[in-house]
Amino acid sequence: MWQKTKPYLLLLPAIGTIVLLFFGGLFDGLLKSLGYFPAIGETRFEVTAYTDLFRSSEFWESLVLTGRVAALSSVIAAVLGAVIAVSLFMLNESAKSGGAQLWHRLFQLPLTIPHLVGGYIVVLLFMQSGFLSKILASAGLIDEIRDFPVLVNDPFGWGIILTYAWKEAPFVSLMIYPVLSRIHRSWRDVARIFGAGSWNFIREIVLPVMVPAWTIATFIVFVFTFSAFEVPFLLGVTYPSMLPVFSYQLYTSGTLADRPEALAVNIILAALTILLGLVVYYFSKRWNVLKGWD
Amino acid sequence: MSDLRIINIEKQYPQTQQKSEPAFSLQPVRLTIKQGEFFSLLGPSGCGKTTLLKLVAGLLPADNGEIWVGDDNLTAVAPEDRRFAMVFQQSLLFPHMTVEDNVAFGLKMQKISKKQRLADAHGMLEHVGLGGYGSRFPDELSGGQQQRVALARALVANPRVLLMDEPFSALDPSLREEMRELLSRIQKEFRVTVLFVTHDREEAFYLSDRIGVMSEGTLLQVGKAKKLYEQPVSAKVALFLGLKNIIKGTVADGRFSSSDQNFEFLVEDTIQTGPCLLILRPEALQPVTKAAALHPDSIQVSGVIQQMRFNHGFYSVKVKVGSNKLDCSIASQQAEEMVPGQKIDLLVKLKDIWLIVE
Repeated sequence: MWQKTKPYLLLLPAIGTIVLLFFGGLFDGLLKSLGYFPAIGETRFEVTAYTDLFRSSEFWESLVLTGRVAALSSVIAAVLGAVIAVSLFMLNESAKSGGAQLWHRLFQLPLTIPHLVGGYIVVLLFMQSGFLSKILASAGLIDEIRDFPVLVNDPFGWGIILTYAWKEAPFVSLMIYPVLSRIHRSWRDVARIFGAGSWNFIREIVLPVMVPAWTIATFIVFVFTFSAFEVPFLLGVTYPSMLPVFSYQLYTSGTLADRPEALAVNIILAALTILLGLVVYYFSKRWNVLKGWD
Repeated sequence: MSDLRIINIEKQYPQTQQKSEPAFSLQPVRLTIKQGEFFSLLGPSGCGKTTLLKLVAGLLPADNGEIWVGDDNLTAVAPEDRRFAMVFQQSLLFPHMTVEDNVAFGLKMQKISKKQRLADAHGMLEHVGLGGYGSRFPDELSGGQQQRVALARALVANPRVLLMDEPFSALDPSLREEMRELLSRIQKEFRVTVLFVTHDREEAFYLSDRIGVMSEGTLLQVGKAKKLYEQPVSAKVALFLGLKNIIKGTVADGRFSSSDQNFEFLVEDTIQTGPCLLILRPEALQPVTKAAALHPDSIQVSGVIQQMRFNHGFYSVKVKVGSNKLDCSIASQQAEEMVPGQKIDLLVKLKDIWLIVE
């Protein structure tokens, strides 16, 4: 009996902490979003916060902006990450020296830099008075730095998209590369013998092999950017703001009456994330992408 | 005729980090393989046969020489454009593709329509005895079945030359025999030119129209299996083909004398005077019987049986004759009366004797 229960008991502190902080926080947020707020004397359950949110144009604009930024960041990061991973893989296949290893390390560098620092780098590089605009102005490609497009603190969210694309592309490549390294070295020879050039080899062998890991990595990036706070807070505009920032603005608006709405935004974010997870899971099963691998 | 011609192809590998070991080099090889011929490269591991195969495939760049098929010079043509096919030691099927997609891969690269290529793949799977396996994935097949799929994948693309790099070496013996029979049947049916690499003498002898024996980067001898076995051009070839009875001696005044004087006989005038090696095939050495003893075109030697081992319906008997130990293959019925330590008289017909000038 003791032998059977011992592993569970040993896991209890870790599981307890996770349940308390994660599910506890989520549950508390759900209760408060439903108006249950004993601290201000509200003990009834109602969906007013949700109906108010769905009626406000501010919420919908935030949602569209959040979806657009998250989608563009994920797609750009996914494409860049895949290009990096495939390039490193092909370099490793053909190179005889340790050059591929050096490139591998170089591409991993952004992983070591915090998001906030990444955001600052984008500010310093891409704002109108930033490094890039000054170089372009000095080179005579633009007349003055004001001609440089507004890429930071812009309503479209380009600054945020650039930051996440730069920061998450190495993450995507890091997720894909170990899968690519499972590709047998001789498969390249087999493919060539049967008439496949480099592009056909990538299309027929490399891409199908990396699709499962690629999908999952892109989904993780999407979910992360969808609910991330610090970079949109730093590089976004006041209106419209991304959903996490919108939630923060509501929460710190100075009135406790806005807090159910702030927490309702978070619950909606969590619900959308779960829904997206289910969609990705459904498609990955349907594509049969993992079939054939032992 | 679309013969495969290998003209003085050679390859020098760079020096390894261990300077004491010389870098491997493939000496210039000149060889013509006729259209529809089954040609085997036979040699021990590391002798350069796979290197030669990869040079023919274009997977390795040659330092010198040319590869031709018919009137086409393929030396500078990329492997993907040579229209060759290859079966490797491992099946190397693509695990994310079904069996039929694997088989149809070459046809897809040739831009054959999906309907046509899948029909061809089904047909070829039937030929290799795997009809109905098309929708499975490679990990659902046994090792032998995977190798059959690899063979189907190679044949379906109607290659100009089929290259095979020890394709059955990873299979167990009974499966290997089965695959040999299948390959032999299919090769005759499709009349495809095959360049086959193996270190297995039995496999090469069973399958090949002609065999090239290689050692240390050099093609030593090319010929039919019988000719190679009965008339090897060097001790290396003889040893690799399992002929261990190699006796040193000298030819002088139209006569061969072994170093220990145990073998002495007249030789033809065509044989050069000087040091020579006498090759005696194990099955050519037979115990003296009353009927054979009087044969005029034979020589007779006496020795002592040292060891006897039963081997697939006959006995391998080791007999010490002078300073030489001879391997003899003796029928079970005759060998049953023999015991180690017993004296024995052996007889070999002069027509079964082979001399190599050193």
